[in-house]
Amino acid sequence: MTDDPLSPWASATVIANALRTGGVSAVEVAEAALNRVQAVNPRINAYTEVTTARALREARSLDAARTAGRPLGPLAGVPFAVKNLFDIVGLPTRAGSRINRDRAPARTDATLVSRMNRAGAVLLGALGMGEYAYDFTGENAHDGACRNPHDPARMSGGSSSGSGAATAAGIAPVSLGSDTNGSLRVPASLCGVFSLKPTYGRLSRGGTFPFVDSLDHLGPMARSVLDLAIVYDALQGPDPADHACTDHPVTPMASVLPDVRGLRIGVLDGWFHDNAGHEAQAAVATVAAALAPDCHVLPVRFDAAEPVRAAAYLITNSESAAFHLDRLRLRAAEFDPDTRDRFLAGALVPAAWVSRAQRVRHWGLHQAQELFRSVDILIAAATPCPAPLGGSKVLHVAGRDLPLRPNLGLLAQPFSAIGLPVTTVPVFAPGTMPIGVQIVAPPWREDLSLRVARFLEAAEVAVAHAPVTKSVGERAGERAGGRVASATAR
Amino acid sequence: MNFVPEDTYIDAASGMVGLTIPETWRPGVRRFLGIAAEMAAVLEAVPLEDGELALAPVYRLPGVTHDR
Repeated sequence: MTDDPLSPWASATVIANALRTGGVSAVEVAEAALNRVQAVNPRINAYTEVTTARALREARSLDAARTAGRPLGPLAGVPFAVKNLFDIVGLPTRAGSRINRDRAPARTDATLVSRMNRAGAVLLGALGMGEYAYDFTGENAHDGACRNPHDPARMSGGSSSGSGAATAAGIAPVSLGSDTNGSLRVPASLCGVFSLKPTYGRLSRGGTFPFVDSLDHLGPMARSVLDLAIVYDALQGPDPADHACTDHPVTPMASVLPDVRGLRIGVLDGWFHDNAGHEAQAAVATVAAALAPDCHVLPVRFDAAEPVRAAAYLITNSESAAFHLDRLRLRAAEFDPDTRDRFLAGALVPAAWVSRAQRVRHWGLHQAQELFRSVDILIAAATPCPAPLGGSKVLHVAGRDLPLRPNLGLLAQPFSAIGLPVTTVPVFAPGTMPIGVQIVAPPWREDLSLRVARFLEAAEVAVAHAPVTKSVGERAGERAGGRVASATAR
Repeated sequence: MNFVPEDTYIDAASGMVGLTIPETWRPGVRRFLGIAAEMAAVLEAVPLEDGELALAPVYRLPGVTHDR
């Protein structure tokens, strides 16, 4: 991190402090950010719309407020961008699709966009995503692939692909995305940034385009845990626009300390270990070793993971297909071929399977609650492997060849299926490909998850390193030497 | 396990919900329906009690209004 508020790697905290103390104007920060988007985005393809006029208008308004002596919010002047399933006034909400471009422009912002603005953040634009969020790769037939800032030949992960790539590349200090089955955690893992998927129902989904109402979560990505917590604080609060949004009191996280003394940490063994490749296993071991001196670290099993993940698959497949049924009837040829066939199959899934999936989901939550009687936190890899090469179709995991697109998020799915809060932390050395570790807490205990994440960041075990620009020759050498993983998890 | 759904099922079920699935899309639909069947088989192995019935989405009425 840097103290220069105009640096691509400036934290939200540095930017907001500089604005408050008069070290920089909001317009200067916004212009620098917009210029970087112009320069960097063509290489990674993270943005689908840049809201230049709006960003400058918001920045001028902040500068006027400061001049007038009015109080500034905790995110004053901090540039941010959102996955393009968030409503943004004046834009059709694409949700990664071609079909949605025919929608009328949004007349109001999504609830969380408004809350970011209310905290003083400045919207830079909308970010690309897998079509209708049915994706773990970051590849999109309409917009092209979103590329990994650490190696553009590799996947960004999805479906919040633009969010992960933009934040990792220094063109959105913080970003918002969604997570139904792992869509925040997979790109956070592959791009090497922090993400927070809160408890199901914690953050309002008002004004966003749904994927699977039973499972959809929204959350932030950032390059530091403090930024993640400050953004999360700005986003919390009840909202009648989302029927699942909780009335629980807002629990501020920005003051959460990196204190893990006495916590009981369960390192997930069994299915989670078996479906993780060696890089993923090593990252989990690194995190466990860092926590061991202050915590009680023990191996645990969550044998409900596989059936709960199967439940999430079927609920997702069926519920999303039902939601899109009219579009599938009338405009199926306009879908991304990589999502179309899966949606069509979902429309044919027997109701009895989905009904049982909902029962298994509840059964799995009870199993997790039992497990949390003996541990405070669970840790597991976020993805089976670091970023696969773009265009890969096969994931080699646990001795099997699986279709990559539906399986890259298999380690993330069990936790979103039962709604648990998860912070994903990046574990990698500068110049290597990142991989994330999930810090999983009991329902409504985001504070525990963020405490552990802050500790790991302070110990320099989990750091969102900036991408290292390398020559083609260096990258070729790494691949030849096997330093950068292919889509291989075992 | 590799489940390959019968085309007769795909024809009948797609007709029931008003979908047309051309031949060129069938291999993908067949493959994903096969994955769904594998997932359903995993669920069948879970020993659920009859009381495990808390189905989502949960139907909830809004709070009391006092307009009148």
